[in-house]
Amino acid sequence: MTIFHFFNCAILTFGPHAVYYSATPLSEYDTVGTSVKAAVVYLGTALVKLVCLATFLKVPENDIFDPYQELLKALIGMIDVAGLYFALTQLTHRNISQNHKFQAVGLGWAFADSVLHRLAPLWVGARGLEFTWEYILQGIEANANLVLNVSLAALVSLMWLRKNKPRTLIPIIYICAGILSTMPSMTSYLRRGLGWHLPKVVGFELFFSLVMAFVSLQLVSACQRPSV
Amino acid sequence: MTRKLNGGSHNRRKIKCQTDLDIVYSSLKLIKEEKEGTTNRSNKSSFKLQQELSFLPSMAGRKGHEGEMLESVYSVLALVFILVACVELCDAATVVDVYRLIQYDLAGTPLGSRLAGVNHHAGSWPFVSSADLSRTVVMMPVRDVNITFLKEYITNRQPLGGLLLLLPQKLIGEKGGEMEGGLMRSILTELEHFLIHTNTPYPVYFAFEDEKINAVLSVVRRNDATGQPATATAGGYKLVVSTPEPKKLASPTITNIQGWLPGLKGDGDSNQLPTIAIVASYDTFGAAPAISVGSDSNGSGVVALLEIARLFSRLYSNPKTRGRYNLLFGLTSGGPYNYNGTHKWLRSFDQRLRESIDYAICLNSIGSWNNELWMHVSKPPENAYIKQVFEGFSNVAEELGVNIGIKHKKINISNSRVAWEHEQFSRSRVTAVTLSELSSAPELLESTGGLSDNRDFVTETAVFKSAKLVAESLARHIYGYHGKKIKIFSDDSGLAVNPSYIRLWLDLLSRTPRVAPFLSKTDPIILALKKELSEHTVEVNLQHEVLDGMFSFYDVTKARLNIFQVASVTFDLLLLLVLGSYLILLFLFLVIATKGVDDLISIFRRPPSRKLKTA
Repeated sequence: MTIFHFFNCAILTFGPHAVYYSATPLSEYDTVGTSVKAAVVYLGTALVKLVCLATFLKVPENDIFDPYQELLKALIGMIDVAGLYFALTQLTHRNISQNHKFQAVGLGWAFADSVLHRLAPLWVGARGLEFTWEYILQGIEANANLVLNVSLAALVSLMWLRKNKPRTLIPIIYICAGILSTMPSMTSYLRRGLGWHLPKVVGFELFFSLVMAFVSLQLVSACQRPSV
Repeated sequence: MTRKLNGGSHNRRKIKCQTDLDIVYSSLKLIKEEKEGTTNRSNKSSFKLQQELSFLPSMAGRKGHEGEMLESVYSVLALVFILVACVELCDAATVVDVYRLIQYDLAGTPLGSRLAGVNHHAGSWPFVSSADLSRTVVMMPVRDVNITFLKEYITNRQPLGGLLLLLPQKLIGEKGGEMEGGLMRSILTELEHFLIHTNTPYPVYFAFEDEKINAVLSVVRRNDATGQPATATAGGYKLVVSTPEPKKLASPTITNIQGWLPGLKGDGDSNQLPTIAIVASYDTFGAAPAISVGSDSNGSGVVALLEIARLFSRLYSNPKTRGRYNLLFGLTSGGPYNYNGTHKWLRSFDQRLRESIDYAICLNSIGSWNNELWMHVSKPPENAYIKQVFEGFSNVAEELGVNIGIKHKKINISNSRVAWEHEQFSRSRVTAVTLSELSSAPELLESTGGLSDNRDFVTETAVFKSAKLVAESLARHIYGYHGKKIKIFSDDSGLAVNPSYIRLWLDLLSRTPRVAPFLSKTDPIILALKKELSEHTVEVNLQHEVLDGMFSFYDVTKARLNIFQVASVTFDLLLLLVLGSYLILLFLFLVIATKGVDDLISIFRRPPSRKLKTA
C-alpha cells in the first residue's frame, strides 16, 4: 500500500516530464541528448550554487525570514540563469530549431531539479506507513517547476539567442526572466515571512508559473512574428 | 527552505561519493600499475580482480581510463542505491510509551496477555459487538470502560486485534475530588483483578492519556460514529508496536536486603542479645509491570522501615543510648508470591539467630489510613509476646490519637497461600506481627501495588504516623519504658521523625516499578535501597535467591507504540486514477497544442506511419 503511494507520488512528480517529451515534437527530433546535457549542466550549476550558499550564507538559527540573507540567496539563484545560458549557447546541440532547443533544455533542467530535490525525500518519506499530503503537494510543485523552468529557458533563449526581436519587448523579457529566477526566494518569503502553509504556497506556485508560462508564450510568439 | 535543506543533503552525499570514489580510484590505480609491469597471466588475474571490484565488468579495461572512470561511477551508484534501500523508515506521527499487560503462567495455566506485537487499525469504544474486530485495536479509556461487557467479550474469546487501555494521568481529578478518585480506584481494581486472572489471547497495552493520544482517540471516535469503522480500505489510524515475541524469563531472581544494628552487650554477658526484626517487602505485582509502582503496597512499608532504621541508627551510634537488643532490618522480595523471599531469607538464618529473634514487626500497606491501623497476628492474642507488643502499640497509638486493632488469623499449614508476611515467620516458629491498614487478609496477587496504587492515594502523614508509632513503641520496649509517657521521638527534638525524608523516599518509590522478576540483581532501586540501609545500619548485604513456586513470567513489559495516519487503498486507487487521467489529458493537450488534432488522430489510427515518419 505504501509502495503504491510512493508509485503514485512518483508518477505525479516525474510523469509530466515524460509526457511533455513524448507529446511535443521534442520526441520527433530526438532531443534527449540535449536534455541530458542540460541536466548535467544543472548538476554543475547546483554544485556551484551550493558552494556559494555555503560560503556566503549563515546557517539560519531560527525560521525567521531574513531579508538580507534572502537577497543574497536570490542573487545566488541568478546562477541558474547563467547555467541555462551556458546550456543554451555553449553546448553543441544537434541541429534543432531554437524553439525545440529551449524546450529540451528546460525539460532536462526541470527533470534534473526534480530528481535531485524530490526523489530522495520521496523514497524515504512516501514509503512510510504514515500518510501525509506532503508528497502529493511536492509532486504538484514539481509540475509547477517544470512549467517554470521551460518558461525561464524560453525567456533566456529570447534574451541572448534571438537577435531580431521587437525593441519594446526587451525590458518586459528581462523583467519576466528576473521574476522567474527569483521564484525560490518568493516562495521562501511566503512560507516563512508570511507563514503560509504548504498547500497555499504550492497553489500559488502553480498559479504563478502558469501565468508566467502564458506571458512567456505570448512573448515568444510575439518575437517570432516578424521573422515569420 | 526545503530547497536549501535538500541541497545540503545532496552535498553530503556528494562528499560521501567523493570518498568512495577515491577508494575505488586508488584500487584501480594499483591494478593498472600491476597490469603495466607484468605478463599476460597477471594481466588476466588483475582483470579478474577488477571484475570482482566493479559492477560492470564488461566495461572494464576496454575503454581505458574513461571506462574505469565510468565503471567506478557505476559502482558508487550501486553503493548509493544499496544504502538508500536500507534506510529505516520510522517516522510515525506519534510515538507513545505503552505498558504491556503482564504475561505469566500460574502453575502451568497461561494468564495475562499472550501476545505482544500489534499492527492494526485503531477502533474506539464502544463498539458494536457484532462487528469484526479481529484486525482492530480498540482504544478504551479506563474511565468509561464497561467492565461487564469487556469481561464477557474476553471470556467468550471473541476476536480482537488488540486492546489499548488508556489510564488517566491523575487518578484524583481536579474537579471530582475524593469521590471520583475512589470510584476510579474501584474500577481500576476490578479491571486489574479481571485482567490478571484471565487468559487474554491478544495483546493488551496500557497507556497514559495525553494530548497526542486524546487527539487520535477523538478522530477515531468521530470516524466510528459516522458508521465507518477503520479497516484497511477506509484509512484512519494504524497502531504499530513492533516487539519481539515475548520470551519466558529463565529463573527469575529475587533479592533480599538486610542490615543490622547491633545492640550493646553488657560486660561479661556471654549470652547472645535478643533481636527484634523489622521487615517490609519491597517488590510489587500489577497488571502492567512497567508501571507497577506500589506506593502503598508496599512502598509505604519500605519508607517507614528506612525511617525507623535512620532513627535507631542515631540512638545506636552513641554507646550511652545503644539498647540491649539487636535490630535486624529486612527488605524482602517476592512479597506478592506468598512471601517467597521472606521464606528464603528465614531459611538462610542459622538456628541460633532464628531463636534469638524475640519478635518481628512486618510493615505492609501503611500509607493511606486515616485513623485505624490493624495488627495482624497468627498466634492467639492471649500469647504473652503478642500481648506485650500490642500493648506497646496501643499505648503509643492512644497518645498519637489513632486506633489500633488486633486481628487473629490462624495459619493453615496445608494451604500454600501465605497472606501476611508474618505468617512466614510464624511457620518458622518466630513470633511476628504485621502492621497494616488492611483489615482482612488479601487474596493472592491482591493489594500488591497494582494500577491504582500510586502516589495520589498515599499520604505522608499516614506513613509518618506509622513510622512514629512503630519507632516509639519499639524504643519504649528496648529501653524498658513500658507504660511510661516518655516521648523519645518527639517532634521538636533532634530525633523527630523526618517528614521530608519520608516524602522523598515515597516519591522515589512511587516512580520506580519494582516487579521482582523484572528487576535485575543490580537494579538501581535495589542498589539504592542497599545504599540507604548501609547509611544507617551495618553488615548490609544482598541475598539473591531464585523465585520458586508456580510462577513463570514473560518479558516485554514496555514498548513504544507508533501511531500512523494512513490512507486507504481506495484512496490510493482513486489517486492513481486521477493522476492517470491528468497525464492523459496533459498528453492530449500538448499534442493538440504543438502538433494539431490531425497528428493526434494519426497516432491512434496508424501507428506504423508514425514510425516511418520518425525514421
